[in-house]
Amino acid sequence: MRELFSLASRQLMRKKLRVLLIVLGIAIGVAAVIGVTALGEGIRVQAVEQIKASHDLTTIEVSAGVSGESVTLITNSKINAIESSPHVALVAPYVKDSYVTQNNTYLAVKGIAAEYRQIHEQQLQIAQGSWFAEAEAAGTPVQVVLGYDVARRLALVEDLDVGDELVVKLRLYGEEGRPVDKRTTFRIAGTLESTGDEHDNEVLMAVTNALELDEKGSYDGLIVKVDDPAFAAAVRERIKDLGLSAHSAQDVIDEVNRLMVAVTLVLGFFSGISLIVGALMVINTMIISVFERTREIGLTKALGASDFDVMKLFLAECVIIGVIGGICGDLFGIGFSVLIDLVGKPFLVSALGGSIGANLEAGSITIVTPTILVAGFAISLVLSVVSGLYPALRAARLSPLDALRQL
Amino acid sequence: MTVETRGLTKRYRMGDENIVALDGVDLKVDDGEFISIVGPSGSGKSTLLHIVGCLDAPTDGEVYLKGSRVDYRDKRSLVLLRRHFLGFIFQAYNLIPALTAVENVEYPLYFTKGMRSKSERKARAQRLLALVGLEHRAHHLPSELSGGELQRVAIARALANDPALILADEPTGNLDSKTGRSILELLKRLSTEEGKTIIMVTHDLASAQRMSTVVEILDGRIQNRP
Repeated sequence: MRELFSLASRQLMRKKLRVLLIVLGIAIGVAAVIGVTALGEGIRVQAVEQIKASHDLTTIEVSAGVSGESVTLITNSKINAIESSPHVALVAPYVKDSYVTQNNTYLAVKGIAAEYRQIHEQQLQIAQGSWFAEAEAAGTPVQVVLGYDVARRLALVEDLDVGDELVVKLRLYGEEGRPVDKRTTFRIAGTLESTGDEHDNEVLMAVTNALELDEKGSYDGLIVKVDDPAFAAAVRERIKDLGLSAHSAQDVIDEVNRLMVAVTLVLGFFSGISLIVGALMVINTMIISVFERTREIGLTKALGASDFDVMKLFLAECVIIGVIGGICGDLFGIGFSVLIDLVGKPFLVSALGGSIGANLEAGSITIVTPTILVAGFAISLVLSVVSGLYPALRAARLSPLDALRQL
Repeated sequence: MTVETRGLTKRYRMGDENIVALDGVDLKVDDGEFISIVGPSGSGKSTLLHIVGCLDAPTDGEVYLKGSRVDYRDKRSLVLLRRHFLGFIFQAYNLIPALTAVENVEYPLYFTKGMRSKSERKARAQRLLALVGLEHRAHHLPSELSGGELQRVAIARALANDPALILADEPTGNLDSKTGRSILELLKRLSTEEGKTIIMVTHDLASAQRMSTVVEILDGRIQNRP
């Protein structure tokens, strides 16, 4: 085997310029594929990092499961099942209802458990007043905390402040489907700082109160916190097995990954068209080589080489070309990726602007992974060997006598 | 007996013409014999050499090498005969330009891999180069050797797989008469000292007569040998 390649390399050494040109042809094609793939990979990683930075990967949003006609509700037994699953740190159920004030101001009410506040400790900060206490007896006003925007709106429109009480209506549906309005009194225990998310428009109260008021008997959602993001997927599966539906930031990451992998594949495929040129060069050069060495092939067969021996001699040359092309292609590819980073990044940053641009600026927009390099090398090797098959077969099939007569 | 042909006939078409290259050739060559086939161009002498050398198939007739009939339809057996039983020497030397003299001698041994170790092959190639008097030129490329030296390398290469039969097609055709004579002397020595059977095709009747048994061929028929 080693001698086969030593023979092949001796043959190639005699036509250095020709070999150099083919190797360049293949290497540029491989480099183009590597550069494009590295760009796709770089942007994918950046996007995923941004999602990870802005989302908590340890929380899972759970809602009622729907499959066909049947709905799986979030009941206490489901909560118990989730709580007893491994790696679940906290389970925070909540209830959502719509109330209307006497002046027809719409209020989105969320009944939350203590765990809910624990999970959102960072966001939910009291601006004025204090957190609610649970209403002890029926008839006493229900304590609520207002989100930032709700508090401002109620202060403006209804002139309500911390400590004030207000009468609200909750629309329920009676047994025969008739709407029934239920009146309750809220007492504003406190208001929240602005959170920048849905909490600004919500009115928060204890989940026990909310359940008493709306008589639903099941929760509208859960927030499940796991102790380690690595186990989030397993816990999600467990929750799905219970018939509920579960979402987390991982869904977004999966989506981004799917999209970027597809985009990178399409781009890589089209940049790979340049490889066809490289393959044609190999085929052309090897056919010329077979013509030039016709007598040599005849002689080789007269000396006792089989068709397969002759084929191996030519394919060994293709393997060497493929290996050199692969190594050069990888090196050029790395260079190409650095170039894209240097030239392309400022352009992308200014084109995208804002926070996305700023985030891009911090990292590199191309990432060359070992997998990409191995793939680049393999492409070069397979390409040149496959391209060499036909010329090698032509050489192997020459009749020794005809080949020897050739001048 | 190394070679025997019975009623060997070769016909082929060239354009509209039917050409009879060999017309019932019966030839017997004994072990260690050195015979020269002499005849004008187109007499069929090269065709005879090619058929005996398993490079071409006869239209009719049989060839026996070491007593076994050659089956020209069995490509694999032809490869094995060429590999182990036959050695070729050509007018144009046909050395591989990319390889040095010693590597050219070693070249046929690549295809009998497993039979000898790498060091054995190297040693054998060196020994054969010494046999033809070229050990001092072992690491020169063909482009650096003279015509006589090239043909000596080619002879050493023909001996590489230790064949019983050596076929030489006009081995002195490209050489001046003095160099040609030394090449013939070398071939003669191979038959007498190494016991090789040699069939040579040549134009040079005078030297052929001095060195070997001469078989004359004309219009595809042997003239002087029963």
